Amino acid sequence: MRERADTKVLPSTPVEKLRLYVVFGLFSLGFLYVVGGLAYRQLIQSRDLKEQSDNQSRRIVLRPPARGRIIDRHGFVLVDNRARWSVKADLAALQKEFRSEYLRLLAAERARQAVQVDTERVMELARVNVLQGWLNKVWFVIDENQPKALRKPAPGEATPLVSPGERKVNIEDLRKHLRERRALPFTLVADLAFPVADAPGGADQGVKSVARFIEQFPVEGPIRLESDIIRTYPFGGMAAHVLGYVKDSDDLPPNVDDIAEVRAESMQKLRQTGKTGAAGVELSFNHVLKGLSGWELWTKTSSGYNQTRLKYSEPMQGSEIRLSLDLRIQRTAESALAEIKDTQGVPLPAAAVMLDVQTGEILALASQPTFDPNRLAGRITFAVYDEVEKSGAWLNRATQGLYPPGSTFKIITAIAGMRRKVVDWDDILECGASYRVGDRDFPEHEPVGYGEVDLDKMLAISCNVWNYQIGLRAGPDALAAEARRFGLDTPLLETSSADGNGAAHTELPYAAGRGLVVPDRDYKLRIKAGPWQDGDTANFSIGQGYLLTSPLHMAAFAASLARGETRTVPTIIHDPNRDGRHRGSSPIGLNNAQLEAIRGGMVRCVEEGTGRSARIPGLPIAAKTGTSEYFKNREKAHLAWMIGYAPADRPVVAFCVLVEGQLDTNTWGGKTAGPVVKQMLETWVGTGEKPAAEPAR
Amino acid sequence: MDQNRQGARASYVALSVFVAGWILLPSAVRRLNREAFVEFQAPALHLVGKSRDLATFWEKKSRGSEELVAAGRDLARINAALELKLKGMEDVRRENTRLREVTRYNVPAEYLSVVARVATRDSSSWWQRIVIRKGRNDGIRPGAPVVFGDTVVGRVTAVHLTTSEVDLVTSPGFRCTAYLEGDDQNRIVLINGVAANSLGTAKARVCVIPYDYLLPAGTPARVTTTGMGGVFPSGLTLGYLDGGAYATQVGNFKESLLVPSRDLYNLQEVSVLVPIIQTPGEALMQGDQFQ
Repeated sequence: MRERADTKVLPSTPVEKLRLYVVFGLFSLGFLYVVGGLAYRQLIQSRDLKEQSDNQSRRIVLRPPARGRIIDRHGFVLVDNRARWSVKADLAALQKEFRSEYLRLLAAERARQAVQVDTERVMELARVNVLQGWLNKVWFVIDENQPKALRKPAPGEATPLVSPGERKVNIEDLRKHLRERRALPFTLVADLAFPVADAPGGADQGVKSVARFIEQFPVEGPIRLESDIIRTYPFGGMAAHVLGYVKDSDDLPPNVDDIAEVRAESMQKLRQTGKTGAAGVELSFNHVLKGLSGWELWTKTSSGYNQTRLKYSEPMQGSEIRLSLDLRIQRTAESALAEIKDTQGVPLPAAAVMLDVQTGEILALASQPTFDPNRLAGRITFAVYDEVEKSGAWLNRATQGLYPPGSTFKIITAIAGMRRKVVDWDDILECGASYRVGDRDFPEHEPVGYGEVDLDKMLAISCNVWNYQIGLRAGPDALAAEARRFGLDTPLLETSSADGNGAAHTELPYAAGRGLVVPDRDYKLRIKAGPWQDGDTANFSIGQGYLLTSPLHMAAFAASLARGETRTVPTIIHDPNRDGRHRGSSPIGLNNAQLEAIRGGMVRCVEEGTGRSARIPGLPIAAKTGTSEYFKNREKAHLAWMIGYAPADRPVVAFCVLVEGQLDTNTWGGKTAGPVVKQMLETWVGTGEKPAAEPAR
Repeated sequence: MDQNRQGARASYVALSVFVAGWILLPSAVRRLNREAFVEFQAPALHLVGKSRDLATFWEKKSRGSEELVAAGRDLARINAALELKLKGMEDVRRENTRLREVTRYNVPAEYLSVVARVATRDSSSWWQRIVIRKGRNDGIRPGAPVVFGDTVVGRVTAVHLTTSEVDLVTSPGFRCTAYLEGDDQNRIVLINGVAANSLGTAKARVCVIPYDYLLPAGTPARVTTTGMGGVFPSGLTLGYLDGGAYATQVGNFKESLLVPSRDLYNLQEVSVLVPIIQTPGEALMQGDQFQ
């Protein structure tokens, strides 16, 4: 009983009870605080906290889409996509190997020197060593000509197909990768087929490399084979200036709005490198071709590597674009231009354009020299860039090249003269060996002159003196006004539509428009070349002097002339429903007899005049040749021109060919440009017997 | 009570010591142990295979005379058809020989063929892997292709003294390149086995099918080896493309399933094509020094 009385636990006095209640109260408050806090977190803040947690533990990986194809007007594929097989190392799976190599290197370093070891540097070296080991294995398997990987070739032995540099892990690439994309696999070989693509039989060799890796490299392990899509240009350098090329881009078109339950905008996003247009249609229609990115939602480890893929959505390919180009004519134009060579056997810089007279659709647009966009599709190397730069192939001479049009401008001089009524189609002018303007004799290209010349004969033989006289009678303002009326100073290939960002849009980047010159008195004063002289007018009348235009402009002029109108709006996009109306176009303003005289003179030019080299039996062609002078390395060289349309009686196509002569080449309008025109037209009509298509009236 | 507790503790200690010892053992010893286990069970595998052969023998021997007569008749018809084919082939062979003599073209053999009976299927992955009754003693090496007639069965993945393990084309560890019948441009596609669930059907995936490839109408498209990877000779049948390539892979490429052309359940005998020259892949599999 006594013992029981000593073990009293309950308060017996009011004071003790009060103390107990206070303690209970304090505990209750504390408990309520904890429960309340928990409830607040769980019920009120849960959404934000979950989002925070998700953001820290998840990420979105954006995958680039396949770009849309580009086809010609008949559906032939001009730009496509191909599988690119790359070899990648899963860095998360290599952690053990990194650690083991790190410890080995650290021990060796400590044994070698007693001073403090830079552990960061050792870790980096360990990573490089491990990755290099795997890369050696990859090359060991894929390169059948170098089975003993990384072995230096003995004297006289075949050299490796790839430079040793491509077989080394690039430490800078690795650093960048770990800094920016640690979670993604590291690329060991970017394109299994690429390194040998340029070698003889390289395409087959490339496929063999892929096949050897697939069949011989162990399936399990940290080295993965991944396939993605790369741009391919089946015809190599054909139409390269129109098609353009692509370059690497991390700016992927996002498409993550459909992850309804994830606030994707605040989540970390990793972008796999995609492609974006860098030139040509690839650039100007990038908004159509680019497609929509795919995405993958991943959980990530504390080290930042991807862990589990929770959801994904496949990328969507970009839309297809149908160009107005005709593959057959384009190929003919390029091969014909390639046949015109200088004394060293190097093809001369040149351009060729063919248009549909009614619609303005461009059937061929060739520029020489050209480049192979396939070599730029993977990674643009400095070597390739410099090679293209050195050859001058970046310039699209058909749209960006600026040249004096020479005698092809004489048609405009004649139109200006007849519209100003200073000459008519049947007027005959006496044309001697030269024409005196001021104190200078302006020469005829025929030493004895042509005697009596009318419009028809002038166009056939390209008489200079006739044009000096008419140009001076009409005056420079009339010549300039006429040139402007035909749009020689108006940028082409601009569309009224806008791209995806609402920006102004041209069908080809840097299209014809910059630097065009239709000179007048103000222009000469503006460039501080002094006041306008009659000699300037004489030069202007034969398409020389300050006048600068592009081959595309002259082709558009020929198309306008064929329809008896002033403007043609060329386009590179095919539209079977195009109505053939051209913005800003109006009738030329000549009567039928005058128009017929111009047409007749242009037909005579081909039948018996300076353009005989373009003659095709059975196909009436209306054309005008031109040989203008330009300065190359401060010395005079010749530009060969030919513009026109065919068939002459019911025009369907218009054309322009330009060849840049060199100092040591004998370059003349008809002789040099004529054969190119002939081959293009022969291709257009098929066998050269009749037109391939009825004119679209 | 105390004795029981002590006994339990002792067994836990023993287990821990064993596990720790196993973990600390050098990998070479562990590998040797595994090899020894495989070699230990090899006679049993041989016995199983031979028992099955014997069972088949008696099953056939017990058939009635009418059945045998009917089978003999069918066989005679097949023989007649084959003889006709053989005559046509004989002309081709003669022409081939003549051309080789004229051009002095002498192609060295690339493979040695080793015929082997199937001992058993690996129960751990059911029909994805088989075990054959030939091994290192018979010259078989890892990585060698395994065929039946002109059809690919799989690849040798592990070789023991008298047995070898073969991954079938439907195994997730199997990967090779192939051509699709009807693709004039001969673009390569990737064949990859797919892990089947325990009751599912084994299958292989055909990846990176060009977007513009159209299945030939009528007969299913044959899928053949390319011969470019250095492992499989060209032109062997891998199987047939499952009707209708389905979902795109990365926007531009299609994917489909491969229907193996031979019933992989009933394989009795296969040929192992052992490459005369060791391939780099084989060296990697064996962990050889490749420098």
